[in-house]
Amino acid sequence: MGGLYLESRLEFLRKNQNPDGGWSYFPGKASWFEPTTYAMLALHGRRESEGDLNRAWKLLRSWQLADGSFRPSGQINDGTWVTAHAVTLASVRGVNDASMRSSVDWLLRVVGAEHDLAMRAASFFHLIQTKLDVSHEGWPWRDGNASWIEPTAHALVALKKIASQYRTSEVEHRVQEGEKLVLSRRCSDGGWNCGNPNVFNYDLPSYPETTGLALMGLQGRNERELAGALDVARRFRQETKSSLAKAWLQIALRCHGRSLETPEESAWASSDVMLAAVQALGHPEGNYRLLTVANQVGGRA
Amino acid sequence: MTRRKFVGLSGAAVVGTVVGMKLQKPPKLPDGPAGKSAVAIMRARSYSDDLVSRMLEGIRECGLDVRGKRVLLKPNLVEFDAATVINTDAAVIAAALEVFTRLGAREVKIGEGPGHRRDTLDLADDAKYRANVPKFESLFTDLNRDDVSPVRGFAGESQFYFPNTVLGADLIVSLAKMKTHHWAGATLSMKNFFGVVPGSIYGWPKNKLHYLGISESIVALNRQFASKAFAIVDGVIGMEGNGPIQGTPKPAGVLVMGRDLVAVDSTCARIMGIDPEKMDYLRMAADLGHVHTGRIEQRGETVASVQTNFALMDEYKNLRLA
Repeated sequence: MGGLYLESRLEFLRKNQNPDGGWSYFPGKASWFEPTTYAMLALHGRRESEGDLNRAWKLLRSWQLADGSFRPSGQINDGTWVTAHAVTLASVRGVNDASMRSSVDWLLRVVGAEHDLAMRAASFFHLIQTKLDVSHEGWPWRDGNASWIEPTAHALVALKKIASQYRTSEVEHRVQEGEKLVLSRRCSDGGWNCGNPNVFNYDLPSYPETTGLALMGLQGRNERELAGALDVARRFRQETKSSLAKAWLQIALRCHGRSLETPEESAWASSDVMLAAVQALGHPEGNYRLLTVANQVGGRA
Repeated sequence: MTRRKFVGLSGAAVVGTVVGMKLQKPPKLPDGPAGKSAVAIMRARSYSDDLVSRMLEGIRECGLDVRGKRVLLKPNLVEFDAATVINTDAAVIAAALEVFTRLGAREVKIGEGPGHRRDTLDLADDAKYRANVPKFESLFTDLNRDDVSPVRGFAGESQFYFPNTVLGADLIVSLAKMKTHHWAGATLSMKNFFGVVPGSIYGWPKNKLHYLGISESIVALNRQFASKAFAIVDGVIGMEGNGPIQGTPKPAGVLVMGRDLVAVDSTCARIMGIDPEKMDYLRMAADLGHVHTGRIEQRGETVASVQTNFALMDEYKNLRLA
């Protein structure tokens, strides 16, 4: 068993599932897709949670729109980046039906708007003074906006998980493009921020949390290519005070096969539902392996 | 390609410039709404000054009645860098909390939704909010992850979502920081409203606002909330140069307050040595409040007595007040 650290967080999640089956960001609030995703992943495979997870999955599926995308909560009308989480969850649950394939279709259709013809032409003719490489296809938070690191990383994880099941060559193409975009937006200090490493020729610093997420998306790339970034991630994990960043970094480093010490046996003492779930996932006996996707695209090592 | 489209594509927090993009002297501004707006400039040379007394005096000068109201304090919490002054100082928030409680507010909450960082409470920790603002954690709402409700017609959108904490407040106090800004020229009380847009829907950064246009979004957010807004701008130590994140500290020694946020920002701009009539968003908001000095009743200190030129990036040197 995972001891006090893991069990106290899982117990917190069990106690704070909403009556509709979802999880909120904070107890007593409405259910949202993002904390529900992490809670479901954290509790996945635990026999006593099976019924609760089925209710959660039923709720999330009710948020799917006709175009295959998913709404971030029942209160919102539009589909967003959480569609990537839906595909990841479907893969984890062994679901490969028409509705999930329509979500993959949506992910394959949606491209960051900076990649449109006008922007690429402006870049080609040097009409833009920017270091941003607009030649790659990433993912936006919302369809019609520009690509950013976090939604691209989530889409990469999702597509790598289903790569062998559906539209394989197109998935492979978007994965490669998404990886190139993430790599092209690496900050000069070796990590990643939201997705803009430079403005007005001033380098911007990376963030611990986004560095962790970017590395999750880059699983399967050559480890030597990522060695420096993994070192940065390890340093961030030591230095950051952010519990959320630390947890995402733990998941990323473990997914890349790095051994980390077990967290101290601290009881759960926060009201942040998503944080509890992400921390539980990142524990050595947690479910971080559900987000492991190495070697699933194009047989790359 | 328009500047607006470029900013939307590349993200306002960052990136580059469109070659040949110039901010030109635009035509004369209209007079704005009827009457005049009171703006109080209170001197505060350091954060250890008696900020509570200064705020009480400024609020009284502006004729604000907060009795029985649900007040939301909205600081500017963006990122943290110990080498500079990105965020509204914790002492200003603590003073505002005491002031609005003392003035009879039914409740006083604090809320913010940073545009780049996911861990809002960690940022608040870095900015010493948890250490220096009494009961901070129990009063604070992460607006990026609050429950939301739709608003119709915002910025031409059929539906736009705002946090319930924001929609439920009777009075939103924009506790802004006096800073230069690499896309808007300056970020003051009106730009501070970007933080009420929920990241859980619009992302980190809130790229939707960039697509609407930065100036357009600033004005739209203020049209949405102007009727229940008040501003207190932290200019005790502001930021000059490459703001809003990478600039350098610039002491201005003032708190600037008012109910008309257009007038407050125009006054702040003049204190910073920036011509507000050349700033896009203030020009666009000229029907919402007062930009002209003749329509602003200056209370407390005069602009001239506290004016100190903030260094401007090359791209914004044409904004300098003549």
